[in-house]
Amino acid sequence: MARQQGWFALIIALAFAAGAVFASFSLPLGLDLRGGSQLTLQVQPTVEITRVDSEQLEAVKTVMDLRVNGLGVSESTIQTIGNDKLIVQLPGEQDPSRAAEILGSTALLEFRAQKVGTQDELRNLQRIRLKVERLIDVYNNNYKLIESSSEIEDISEIVTLAKEVLGIEYFSGNNIEQLEQLEDKIRFKIAELFEPAAFTGDLIKAGSRQEQNGSGWEVTLTFNSEGGDKFAELTKSIAGTNRLLGIVLDGRSISEASVGQQFKTAGITGGSATISGNFSVQDARDLEVKLDGGSLPLPVEILEVRTIGPTLGAANIRRSLISALSGLVLVAFFMLLIYRLAGFVAVLALSLYALFNLAFYALISVTLTLPGIAGFILSIGMAVDANVLIFERFKDELRRGNTLIRSIEKGFSEAFSSIIDGHLTTLISCIALFTLGTGLVKGFAATLGIGVVLSLFTALTCTRTILRFLMSYQKLRSPKNFLPVNQIPS
Amino acid sequence: MSISTALNQSKSPFNLKLCRRRRLVWWISGLVVSISFLGLILCFLNPSIRAPLRPGLDFTGGTQIQLERSCDSSCESINTARIIRALRELPLPTEDSSFRAKLSQARVQLLDDSKSVVLRFPFLSASQGQLVIDSMGSIAGPFLPGGQAVDTIGPSLGGQLLRSSIVSLVAAFTGIAIYISLRYDRRFAFLALIALAHDVIIVTGIFAWLGLILSIEVDSLFVVALLTIAGYSVNDTVVVFDRIRERGRRDTSLPLSDQIDRAVSATLTRTLYTSGTTLMPLLALIFFGGDTLFWFAIALALGVVIGSWSSIALAPSLLSLSETRNSKKTIVIED
Repeated sequence: MARQQGWFALIIALAFAAGAVFASFSLPLGLDLRGGSQLTLQVQPTVEITRVDSEQLEAVKTVMDLRVNGLGVSESTIQTIGNDKLIVQLPGEQDPSRAAEILGSTALLEFRAQKVGTQDELRNLQRIRLKVERLIDVYNNNYKLIESSSEIEDISEIVTLAKEVLGIEYFSGNNIEQLEQLEDKIRFKIAELFEPAAFTGDLIKAGSRQEQNGSGWEVTLTFNSEGGDKFAELTKSIAGTNRLLGIVLDGRSISEASVGQQFKTAGITGGSATISGNFSVQDARDLEVKLDGGSLPLPVEILEVRTIGPTLGAANIRRSLISALSGLVLVAFFMLLIYRLAGFVAVLALSLYALFNLAFYALISVTLTLPGIAGFILSIGMAVDANVLIFERFKDELRRGNTLIRSIEKGFSEAFSSIIDGHLTTLISCIALFTLGTGLVKGFAATLGIGVVLSLFTALTCTRTILRFLMSYQKLRSPKNFLPVNQIPS
Repeated sequence: MSISTALNQSKSPFNLKLCRRRRLVWWISGLVVSISFLGLILCFLNPSIRAPLRPGLDFTGGTQIQLERSCDSSCESINTARIIRALRELPLPTEDSSFRAKLSQARVQLLDDSKSVVLRFPFLSASQGQLVIDSMGSIAGPFLPGGQAVDTIGPSLGGQLLRSSIVSLVAAFTGIAIYISLRYDRRFAFLALIALAHDVIIVTGIFAWLGLILSIEVDSLFVVALLTIAGYSVNDTVVVFDRIRERGRRDTSLPLSDQIDRAVSATLTRTLYTSGTTLMPLLALIFFGGDTLFWFAIALALGVVIGSWSSIALAPSLLSLSETRNSKKTIVIED
């Protein structure tokens, strides 16, 4: 009897603890419930590194962490999935295009010296680039088709130049996407006029942007000491010649600068450099974020972008709450109807079960998603099943003419192996889903799996203890409370 | 016949003669499985699908934009053909033939009493998607602010998803088979897997037919549903097997088919109650869960019903086959 009271006290204490946990920790909501954007990125193998392992994934994640922080979206998170995927969650973000651009680029910054004897070629390319950039500006500012004659002339010139210099045919020029592609191609071509990297952005400590006098933004890089030395060495080698210094990001030249005669002796020292590429404020800010984060050790590809509005998220919460509650109420009615007093005990145990579940989610911060809630609702079915198994055995024993207390004990002991088997097989599916599945699937497997484990505990402990406790009251100890009168053996 | 079983027999609310009717059971299951396979094959032969099931956005890749309409009590009907036409003629800031081509492939669907509009395109960039959302306001607005959802799935994800789905299905099946072989014996594991395959095939078959007739697509949630059905189906079957084994241990004088009949009768109430109580929350999800979870819940509910059938009727009746092979001798099921 004392042991039984001990159990009872433990369950009440657990219930209070669960209530306290649930009240003090908040349940993190998934983006499908609160609104926001989710990006799935996959790390791509390269020629040198043909297999992506968890170490490389961690390295990519470290850079991504910095970049995501730079985006300035509060409560954003990054998770690794499997050994080559990352999931970035940006709560509240409704237009993920900028995030996709920043997170998706490798941001490998290189400093290169111009190849000897490429001056004419470079000048040609720079000239087309300037024209293309001007046209893109016109498009962006007017947001309509180009009409003025000088611009039409520009287009025809670009078309000819594109054909002559880059060998691009069938190019109409009157289309912003084509223009942007062309600009990209020109920057790529320019980068090819420079020697392989003297050194790369690994040696950069920080990037910061500031406004140029009136004509846009520039970004200043600060090198670490090794970077400062290398930068001085590189600038010294080309100072006073007609070779330029190329700053190349992801294989595309973002800026070409000449180094004056005065740096001939020592190179540019001081450990910093300024890239003045006439950036817009947004471009400067993005470059800063990329430089601060550093370059990715391996390129990434964006596999998936999901965005959901906050109103739709709220509707999802409302719907799933209604479903969960109405499902629970239906089940409760059913249990009371079929099992009477035992049904009442089951309803108590199931309420505890729901409470423990929620407390557990809060404690280990399971992010609640729509499939996660579905997993929880389904796990209620499992929890009920355990009770049904026990009570059916219990009723069998009663019908056979056993005493009430003995029937209860037999009910539990005989249903035990079925309950264990059933729960473990479901748990096996959950583990398979959780380890091999992705985002949505994981949430479902997590809540269902937690539910299965907790259901074992509540069915075998809570139901039993509460039932025994009630049986200590003489008045309740009657088979009529459990069976219809006509089934009770005389 | 011992006293305890005699008593038991008179008190058991059911007294099934399953093993005598086993041919009927096999006919029913066989027929439904064949119809399911037919659905999968027809789906595969259908020129617009070319796969055993109609793959959804998760598998094909592309962009899906969902917009909630803002209307007080009931939304007036809108014409999807008109939306498609308007999208085709959408004025673009700059003419772009590839974007134009994607727009002309738009598919429009109305959900939830035409309260929400779902647009489906080939892969759109984020800015192109935003442009479509902005222009939809004048085409079919007004829309609820914050009521939009955009899913963009890259083309390479589908293959990966399919692979990881199959791997996790196989892993779960193997894990379950090993567990049952350890706890029971290999024959039970084999039958539980047959019952499981039966349930999974029929549910996929039904979705193949749904894909053919109602153009219902399967997404990653469908894979989740299949795995849950797998766990659930085995759970149900194991409970019945557990009872058969227990009976075999307690009373070895009865022939196996009688033992099976009694075990199934004794667990019938439990199986029906459990299926019923699992169906209740699923029905709640079907009615109130919204369309994200609607087909997921339907798949699960089908799985529960079919799983009950396979564990009450199919798996035990197949078990009775091992008796005929042992020339009607009583066999003791070993632990």
